[in-house]
Amino acid sequence: MKPSERLPVFVTVFSVVCSVVYIVSVYKNYALFTYHPAIGQFGAGVEKAGPDGPAMYWYGWIATSAIAGALAGLFACALPRGLAQRVSPGWSWAIPLAGIAVLLYILRNYFLH
Amino acid sequence: MTTTILLIIHGLLAVALLGAITHQALSVWWKARKPADSFVGRVRSVPSTSYAGAVVLLYLLTTLLGGIIYPDYRLNVRVVLEQLEMPAANGSFELKEHFAVLGLAMLPAYYYFWRTPLAENYARARAALTLIIAFIVWWNFLVGHILNNIRGFGS
Repeated sequence: MKPSERLPVFVTVFSVVCSVVYIVSVYKNYALFTYHPAIGQFGAGVEKAGPDGPAMYWYGWIATSAIAGALAGLFACALPRGLAQRVSPGWSWAIPLAGIAVLLYILRNYFLH
Repeated sequence: MTTTILLIIHGLLAVALLGAITHQALSVWWKARKPADSFVGRVRSVPSTSYAGAVVLLYLLTTLLGGIIYPDYRLNVRVVLEQLEMPAANGSFELKEHFAVLGLAMLPAYYYFWRTPLAENYARARAALTLIIAFIVWWNFLVGHILNNIRGFGS
């Protein structure tokens, strides 16, 4: 593929994979690292909250999903043209939109009281 | 004190982002007749392509600042909301942080599909991405504003 053909494939696949992996990471807690704000320390992978305070996984989820999205985008760019052309630009918004609906469902208990 | 200053900058950047993405979304989804003869008409008739770069930059900066002050929220605000038994407020913030990341995931596609000259085959993707990002920006702005009101500025 020419560089001009690779870019729309990359951005679309990045959008899709980053969104999906982020939601899975939130649901299953696949954080690449943990931040302990009370003591200002990072830890590799998922670490539980200690006696000093809460643990934050948001940054780790972002790292997990961004890396997965970038790798998947690069992989998609290496696909033969015929396969890569099947990547529709519509996926770049449809999957994140579905992700919004999934998040609303996952977090519904906050609002159903 | 530092967090308060960063929070103010975060809010100001969010206002600028809100204005830019709202202008662009309206100009895409509710095209105005030209020449526009009213305030609303002029809001809708902006050149939408000129906003994409600013939206990307403002979104990145706003999210970065939000990420920097997030630990303070986690330590000082969330706990209070839990003590006040306000699960909807906590849930709204949870959605805010997650929506922000979905917006980040869409940002490269949004920027690419807004590149000039605009490609006609990306028109639908361009419009949809703009609308979803506008929704995220509005949600995040309103939730941030309301939570700040609940906790009390600088307290």
